[in-house]
Amino acid sequence: MSSTAGPRDSEAGSRPSAGGWSRPAAGLRTLLGAPFSRRAWRELLYAVAGIPLGVAGFALTAAFLGAATVLTISLVGTVLGLVLLMTGLRVARLVSAVQRVLASGLLGARLPQLPPHRSARGALRRVDARLRDGPGWRAVAAAILGLPAAVAKCIAVLWWAYGVFSVTSPVWWLMFRNHPAGTHLSPVHFGGLAVETWPGTWLAAVAGTAILLVAPWLVHGIVVAELWLMARILGPGELAARVATLERSRSEVVNEAAALVRQIERNLHDGAQTRLATLALHLGMARDKLAAGGPAEVAAARDLVDAAHAGAKEALVELRDLSSGIHPPVLDNGLGPALENLGAGSAIPVRVTADLPERPSPAIETIAYFSAAELLANAVKHSSANLIQVAATSPVGGPFVLTVRDDGRGGADEAAGSGLSGLRHRARTVDGTLTVTSPPGGPTTVRVELPLHP
Amino acid sequence: MRVVIAEDSALLREGLVRLLEDRGHEVAAAVGDAGALLTAVAEHHPDVVVTDIRMPPTHTDEGLRAAVELRRHHPAVGVLVLSQYIETTYATALLAANAGGVGYLLKDRVADAAEFAGALERVAAGGTALDPEVVTKLMRASRQTGGLGGLTPREREVLELMAEGRSNAAIAEAMVISSGAVEKHVASVFSKLRLPSSEADNRRVLAVLQYLRA
Repeated sequence: MSSTAGPRDSEAGSRPSAGGWSRPAAGLRTLLGAPFSRRAWRELLYAVAGIPLGVAGFALTAAFLGAATVLTISLVGTVLGLVLLMTGLRVARLVSAVQRVLASGLLGARLPQLPPHRSARGALRRVDARLRDGPGWRAVAAAILGLPAAVAKCIAVLWWAYGVFSVTSPVWWLMFRNHPAGTHLSPVHFGGLAVETWPGTWLAAVAGTAILLVAPWLVHGIVVAELWLMARILGPGELAARVATLERSRSEVVNEAAALVRQIERNLHDGAQTRLATLALHLGMARDKLAAGGPAEVAAARDLVDAAHAGAKEALVELRDLSSGIHPPVLDNGLGPALENLGAGSAIPVRVTADLPERPSPAIETIAYFSAAELLANAVKHSSANLIQVAATSPVGGPFVLTVRDDGRGGADEAAGSGLSGLRHRARTVDGTLTVTSPPGGPTTVRVELPLHP
Repeated sequence: MRVVIAEDSALLREGLVRLLEDRGHEVAAAVGDAGALLTAVAEHHPDVVVTDIRMPPTHTDEGLRAAVELRRHHPAVGVLVLSQYIETTYATALLAANAGGVGYLLKDRVADAAEFAGALERVAAGGTALDPEVVTKLMRASRQTGGLGGLTPREREVLELMAEGRSNAAIAEAMVISSGAVEKHVASVFSKLRLPSSEADNRRVLAVLQYLRA
């Protein structure tokens, strides 16, 4: 699952880690430093922002859905009720979106993005699609839970406020020392503490310090718990996410296969077929000339046969290139020799290492081969490298890994060239991955990881 | 005969130019796409046009659409469409309403220079040249619906050759029979299929094709 259950700590020591406990000094520093860590402030900000959002989100969603329910039940305002219902779903989705932005902006936490509701043709079907909007209803659940979450955040924020106020109570005492006799200066009632004397303010300051030390942990706990819960509610189940991934990769495979077949047909049509038609034309003319029999005709016929002969050879080359583009015969001897063969034809020197104790499935070999071919072509075109290294390895029990590395100028941009994203799609069809490391100035390394047997 | 050629493969285009010039025809223009074809026809007023179906920019059926347009706006210009494949729907589009001055042949037919040039001359003269493949497909469909049940094998052969757009004399030559025998077969086909008999070759083709398509 892509969602994180809690915030990823960007700074060490913002929560008690195992390492912290084993080293008391570091643990103590963590404890005492918590109120001053940037992380704590961000979480506080997140909590503060979450209070109005949670309350408003709950109130709006509940109001729309409540009104819709009442109207729909009364049968009088069914249409209006449906409209309100759909509006309520929209509001809940909006609240989720805002919360998602807050969580990622302030905490770097990724809440699951709700998939858009299904589109449909026709008013009735649209209404149906909107109402049976699973993710939308999950957003409603999240918005309802937003209220208790807001209350919890409120308590946590008040702890901070109590803490700050208590720590500074000596200051308040001095500022308001001329207060009338009998006035209670008691910002902190925590533990029944009431401050009425100057030394008492110092006691309050100590208590406030303790509160301040605890407050960030309280906020942290609440924020983590809330994010975990929201991720559970908003995120699709693991199975659903897997299905979505498979659906996407399947449609990519299907489209790619169709495009490939089309491309092959096109190449045949424009290439070999046309060449052979021309060849037949030349031979037909030559036959007629020979039948006529004069010396000028025989010379012309020889000319035509020459053209036909050249055309036949070109058609052969074209057919060979086309068929090896469909399935390179060299792959029959294994990926290692195939990659060697590929490297030998490259304009930039290529060093190939293949360490494959177990032979991958043909499909994996084919994907790896065409990926290597494309990556080599890319490197030759863009990198100005002096050497390209191609490595194919499959550690025992591990996946198959193809790396293509060049010492060129780097800066490969996946968004600019469609080649890399095409390769990524292809890798994804077998649950593989493709990673590109290409800092400006190089070197560029592309790593394709595939299962040995899909 | 003045000819304009449209074919996107330079190789085949040159071959066609050579073939036609070799047989004493004048190639007024040889172009690579449908747009240029329409311009060239407007400029040169040829007797006949030879065009490929799949041409740039979309490589789908721009040649066919150009051919249909030519038939509408330049009815005097014969149009011979060449294609790598035979699609009966293409034939239908070309022959709609009028079978005169139109041809639809497989590219393979360029291998037989005399036959190809003959077909082109027929189209230029307002006749029809339909690839045997098209006719075979249409016949097969008709046979399945039982429309040709009453014909003898000979009559069927005559029907095929008629559908290709050949004259009685050409049919006689192809079947190695006398033209009198051909006339007898033709009359028999028309009466068995209950077609209105017609002397003009292209109207005869249309009647036969309409019967086969029905």
